Amino acid sequence: SSAARRPWRLFGAMCLLRLPRITQPLEKVEEEMAALMEQIELEKSHYSDHEIRKLEEEEQLKRKKESLYDEDEAHGKTVIMAQDLEEKWEQKFLQFKAAPRITDADKRNDRTSLNRKLDSNLMLLVKQKIGNEELWLLPQVEWQPGETLRSTAERAMATFLGDHIQAKVLGNAPYGIYKYKFPRAIRTENNVGAKVFFFKAFLQSSDLSQAKLKADYLWVTKKELGDYLKSEYLKKVNRFLLD
Amino acid sequence: DALLGCHRSYRSRPTHGIGKFKYLLPKELPKKRKEKVQMKEIDAGTEYQYGDVNIQMTSHDLCLVEHFAQYVHRLCNRLSIRVNESYAMPTKTNEVLFMEERGSKMQLDAVLTTHQRVVQIRGLSSTFAPILLEIIQSSQPEGVHLLMKQHTEDDFKSRLKSRPELEELLAEMS
Repeated sequence: SSAARRPWRLFGAMCLLRLPRITQPLEKVEEEMAALMEQIELEKSHYSDHEIRKLEEEEQLKRKKESLYDEDEAHGKTVIMAQDLEEKWEQKFLQFKAAPRITDADKRNDRTSLNRKLDSNLMLLVKQKIGNEELWLLPQVEWQPGETLRSTAERAMATFLGDHIQAKVLGNAPYGIYKYKFPRAIRTENNVGAKVFFFKAFLQSSDLSQAKLKADYLWVTKKELGDYLKSEYLKKVNRFLLD
Repeated sequence: DALLGCHRSYRSRPTHGIGKFKYLLPKELPKKRKEKVQMKEIDAGTEYQYGDVNIQMTSHDLCLVEHFAQYVHRLCNRLSIRVNESYAMPTKTNEVLFMEERGSKMQLDAVLTTHQRVVQIRGLSSTFAPILLEIIQSSQPEGVHLLMKQHTEDDFKSRLKSRPELEELLAEMS
């Protein structure tokens, strides 16, 4: 019956993910395969328009040198030679500089910035006070009766990161649950333990300048989670994390 | 008597039906003219199931987008999600002109083609949809835009070509 209050306290926690921005480097087998396929395709392919044009112009040049074929056809067509175009493109390509894959934050191993580990998922961890101890947890907030668990999780995100975050929660269903009982000293009739429901959200924009982070926070990958979370908690969290 | 003997194979004879061959050929159905198929499922309710969902992949690189579409199709087969259709939208060609106005005005041309592939899915349960989205998102290759949306009539009609002569005649008639 709903009149008797259940002894469990409910929390909603939000796992905020930043999706990878670069693809992961290929493994050795994949690289060899890719090289082999490229070679096969190159040998099987036909000439493209540009290459045919280049070959024709080379032939024309040769003919010019051997016997004077300076007729109208030379002037009409080849105002810009294909070779010149290629050189122009090469120069442009040399001017282009790609952004570095391993950023400064990686080198410093600064775990509070979002710019590190661009090829894997990053999760937000916050230091929270539970009972007497301060623990590293996914941001969580207690559930108020009358609101959905998903809005509890969104509220948790808002309390730690401010209101203007562009994060997208996908569904209404939670991804995981962790329940624990309070130590006997605190246990009362109504408060046996707590259940934490995990939700997932994806960070849309990587711009967190507006966010006011109040407590200590970290952005960690799945492998580094073990450094911070407790083992039981970690087990349940790992169940719903894709690599 | 030899002249009167009728060797027409009668139904009780074992050689009845000798010489028939049409039953061996594949059956040819009469050609249908138009397909006006528009089916939608119930959306709301406790048993949350999305109707037709379109996964649209857009990119400039043709091979990449085709391989990704194949991957998504096979993934749905593997997860026993019903795939209605998997089609391609017509490619759009864009000409990019650079105007450099330093000294001599140069115009460099570049021709870009945009390709789009659509995989249509039905019967996606709402508890599973976010997981599927996450899997597809995390295996997205570089340079491919992903869009998941519900199938509407407009999507269906964008695939059909308009016939101006037919429309003129219809307008004249009515």
